[in-house]
Amino acid sequence: MSDTTQMLKGILDGCLLAIIKEGEIYGYELAAKLESYGFRSLSEGTIYPLLLRMQKEGLISATLRKSTAGPKRKYYTLTEKGEQELDLFIVRWEQVSSSVDNVLSKRGI
Amino acid sequence: MISKESEKFLTELRFYLMSKGKNDDEINEITEELEVHLMEAEADGKDVSHIIGYSPKQYMKSIGESMTTDYRQMAGLVPLMILMLGAYVSIGPAIEGNFSLSKGTLWIAIIAGVIAVGGYGVLIFRVLPKFLHSKWSAVLLLGTGVAVTGILVMVLLWNQKQGFEPVFTATPLQNNVIMAVCAVIFIVSAIYTKTWFTIIIPLFISMGPIANRFIPQDVNEDPTYNLYTVIAFVIIAAIMIFVFMVKRKKMLNSGGKRNV
Repeated sequence: MSDTTQMLKGILDGCLLAIIKEGEIYGYELAAKLESYGFRSLSEGTIYPLLLRMQKEGLISATLRKSTAGPKRKYYTLTEKGEQELDLFIVRWEQVSSSVDNVLSKRGI
Repeated sequence: MISKESEKFLTELRFYLMSKGKNDDEINEITEELEVHLMEAEADGKDVSHIIGYSPKQYMKSIGESMTTDYRQMAGLVPLMILMLGAYVSIGPAIEGNFSLSKGTLWIAIIAGVIAVGGYGVLIFRVLPKFLHSKWSAVLLLGTGVAVTGILVMVLLWNQKQGFEPVFTATPLQNNVIMAVCAVIFIVSAIYTKTWFTIIIPLFISMGPIANRFIPQDVNEDPTYNLYTVIAFVIIAAIMIFVFMVKRKKMLNSGGKRNV
């Protein structure tokens, strides 16, 4: 499990940005969405340090809002800088993913 | 409501981040966010390990690394500590109505101050978090209070014997003012650090001087009684320290296993 986490470092940032781009979302919902996309081995708490860092870097912004469940939830949205970062991530990911595909299918470049 | 285990994790996380000098507002923000998550996850039937993985220590570390260290806030703690120590040392003599300052006393205060800042820091940030959710936290508080009182009484007795030349002797009114200022410092510190320590320990410290003021003089001057008191304090303190060292060892062992 930890090996997967190690592998996901960096990739997870991009995935979070992409999910947040779909619309305003709070932590628990975000973790659930990641899981529904197949990231099942990931501990749900992994996202919070990342969200904290991305918020500091100005990629996402947060607003506290009351919930019916109890305490206030922190909802995240993508900033303009975050959108640019997501575009860059997509370009980088496509390069990496096609290179890895090439290696694994033994075609070489 | 969250489970005890989750609550324990959040408290440990809060203390861990505090000990790393992280910003108070940020600590509140992240712990509140995690609390919401834990609450909803537990409502869905998941437990804390599902959220933080199997190494709470590692998880705390990763959160700590994403947060900035607030050096300004840490620097603010130092003057507060110094004020508090001044108040610790002054409240006893002020209650007794004989607050005075001499060069010898000042030196003792400075040396005791340095030792106490270190000890206090270790207690709050390293020792106490491990005991928060056990009944031993009360024993620890009590033991510390008794030990501090005992040591201060001994230092005070020794100091009086030295017959240092006072450079300042307070009038009755000044003694009362000093007492009030000390009380304010303790209350402000309690609010600032969000702990009861700064109220409980001064209460213990004040017990001796209050007794001194109200117990008849002949009892007070009898060296046998004085000796008994000091011996009782030392024995109680030693027992408390022993008990809590044994307990700590046990806790560390079980904590170590959990974190593998």
